[in-house]
Amino acid sequence: MRLHKETRLLSALLGPILVLAACVGCSGGSADGGGGDQQANLTVWSWDGTVAKAVPGFEAENPNIKVKVVNAGSSTDEYTALDNAIQAGSGVPDLAMFEYFALPYFAIPGKLDDLGGFGAESLQKDYVAAAWNDVTVNGKVYGLPSDYGPSAMFYNEATLKKAGVNKPPATWDEYYQDAKKVRALGGNYYIAQDTGDPFFLLSLIWQAGGRPFKVSGNTVHIDFTDPGTTKAVEFWQKMLDEGLVNTKVTAWSDDWNRTLNDGTLASQTMGGWLTSTLPERAPHAAGRFKVALMPQWAQGDEVGSENGGSSFGIPAAAQHKAAAYKFLKYFTHDAGLTPRVAAGAFVPDTSVLESKDAQSKANTYFGGQKVGAVLAEASKSVATGWQYPPFFEWARVTYGDLVSKFYTTGKGSLAQILEEWKQRMTKYGNDQGFKVD
Amino acid sequence: MGQAGRLDDVTPVVASSDTRQYRARAGKRSKKQIGLAFIAPFGLLFALVYIVPIIYAAYLSLFRQQLVGGNRFIGLANYRELFRDPQFWDSVGRVFWFTLVQVPIMLILAMALALALDSRRLHGTRFMRVSIFLPYAVPAVVSTLMWGFMLGVKYGLFGSVNNALGTDLNPFTPSTTLISIGVMVTWAFTGFNMLIFYAVLKAVPRELYEAAALDGANEFQVVRRIKLPALRRSLIIAIIFSIIGTFQIFNEPLILPSMVASSGITTHYTPNLYAYKLAFTGSQQGYAAALALVMAAITIAVAYAVQIRGLRNVFDS
Repeated sequence: MRLHKETRLLSALLGPILVLAACVGCSGGSADGGGGDQQANLTVWSWDGTVAKAVPGFEAENPNIKVKVVNAGSSTDEYTALDNAIQAGSGVPDLAMFEYFALPYFAIPGKLDDLGGFGAESLQKDYVAAAWNDVTVNGKVYGLPSDYGPSAMFYNEATLKKAGVNKPPATWDEYYQDAKKVRALGGNYYIAQDTGDPFFLLSLIWQAGGRPFKVSGNTVHIDFTDPGTTKAVEFWQKMLDEGLVNTKVTAWSDDWNRTLNDGTLASQTMGGWLTSTLPERAPHAAGRFKVALMPQWAQGDEVGSENGGSSFGIPAAAQHKAAAYKFLKYFTHDAGLTPRVAAGAFVPDTSVLESKDAQSKANTYFGGQKVGAVLAEASKSVATGWQYPPFFEWARVTYGDLVSKFYTTGKGSLAQILEEWKQRMTKYGNDQGFKVD
Repeated sequence: MGQAGRLDDVTPVVASSDTRQYRARAGKRSKKQIGLAFIAPFGLLFALVYIVPIIYAAYLSLFRQQLVGGNRFIGLANYRELFRDPQFWDSVGRVFWFTLVQVPIMLILAMALALALDSRRLHGTRFMRVSIFLPYAVPAVVSTLMWGFMLGVKYGLFGSVNNALGTDLNPFTPSTTLISIGVMVTWAFTGFNMLIFYAVLKAVPRELYEAAALDGANEFQVVRRIKLPALRRSLIIAIIFSIIGTFQIFNEPLILPSMVASSGITTHYTPNLYAYKLAFTGSQQGYAAALALVMAAITIAVAYAVQIRGLRNVFDS
């Protein structure tokens, strides 16, 4: 009886250790394989549904290559799965999708192949400068940009008119004034929502000229006090302090859909990819939304920033690298773009952005506005020189921990949170073998 | 056995007291060996699935996995760091308070239900027993989703209540989320504990009740003098299991953030969640292993303290 009881006790206690040990018990080991022109079965990990649209055309051109597109989860889920597969030394895909901020995480420890060997450098001129910047880590190319998120302002024209605003704000000063007018409508009317989205705040900082992360090799310098960062943070702090932002509604929630549909949320500054999502989220607001460049910090400027976007890279442990690159180039640069764009992908390829179709096509959801032209302009105005630290995937999760208290209780300030964030990142980064200060 | 038999062949002449003793000792040893052989399959499995992973976790906890530079041996640095880690202690403190509040509520509820079922004054006890136990059979992931929908203010029961009454109740704010999780856990495990208590009550000899009735005891006296003392031992076991269970809360805080926004659930909400996030978001497996071992030690210590104290009380009475 006694033994039995203790065994059960022990088993209950040790459950988590076992799980942990089982999962990290795998050691490295990689299978390298050549490509060549012989038969190859490619596995592609993508949560971007448009990639599969490029497969039929590619397989017709390359009958000896078969492509299987698998959704191995979005974002963090996929990165975790990939990390596990790399550690286990099996099940590694030939191509995998990475948000721009996640690329350095895999590139720096050598988990991704430098695409320079395939001649990827020659494609630089065909992409928007900032997008190319996103796939370049320490001077080498580790991925090809597959979709893009230039920041843009999606605004509900009817709501703004109702508030007495007849044109979208061109500067953040105007935005602030307009926010007060929208708020004066009472009820749930707000010019924006925010519950602590790091990418939104960083896109403001990015546009204001702040470069809080400076990465060179294994050295990372973090500073949230440069003038650009301070300007952006102080501005958003003021918006929050004066109650001009809806901090109750989180993006992608059911409530968010409702506020977009009923017009109480007057604008949403987000990545250009919202173009294809908004009609699903707010079908009742059809014809009321318009797109504009994001407001500027100074009158007459035209500086943009990014909010999201992703690329594809070839894991170092992939089996069919040559064939993988062939397909990669096909759907991010060549003929494969056409079916993807038709399916709603927004890509940073200048050939697409400048095409007559993209420039002049009227979008019925947006009341006939030529959305493509606005987003192409936004893409080209994205400021370069932005860098993400290689541990940003971890950092953004930590940011959520820090920021939730501020947004729910109002205690503290954005500047304090960023400082605390910096301290956490510094500690984590140094533990991970980087030199962080 | 074989050994003893061979011994007989070698020394057949006189069975001196010396050889008799020897034979007896040999018999004892071989009996012991048979016993060992019987527990060997268990011992092997036990070593394989319990001892080896623990040793491996302990080994892992001495290393630091780095993005740059790979694995590095750092001795006990992970443990030193853990004891200074405010996030870790935040999570330990949370489950500690949670245990202190939730476990008594759940066990009192379970006991009351068991006593009610055992009172023989209810109809449909079998149906009740099964339906109260049923939540235990629902996987935690499913029950979390279910409760998330039910308690959510957006589309759930609370949304309707708020609409109907014009109130602004939200079960998932940073200050109320833990209560909601408490409700979920209580719902899931009350039936399990009730069944333990009920089984114990069933085993109480009926003669005791007859004797009590003859002595003129009323129902309350029967509960106080017979049933509750009978439950004592099982109560301690239930407390220990509950402590272990609540210290390991994981599913609820893992799933809830994807259902409700601004619930206040951080990556270090509970020790297990923290270990998981360290290992899989931060790739700090060594640190996570250290955390798991320390947490196991804390849980064992607390459970043992309860057991020793509780059993002493039982024997005292």
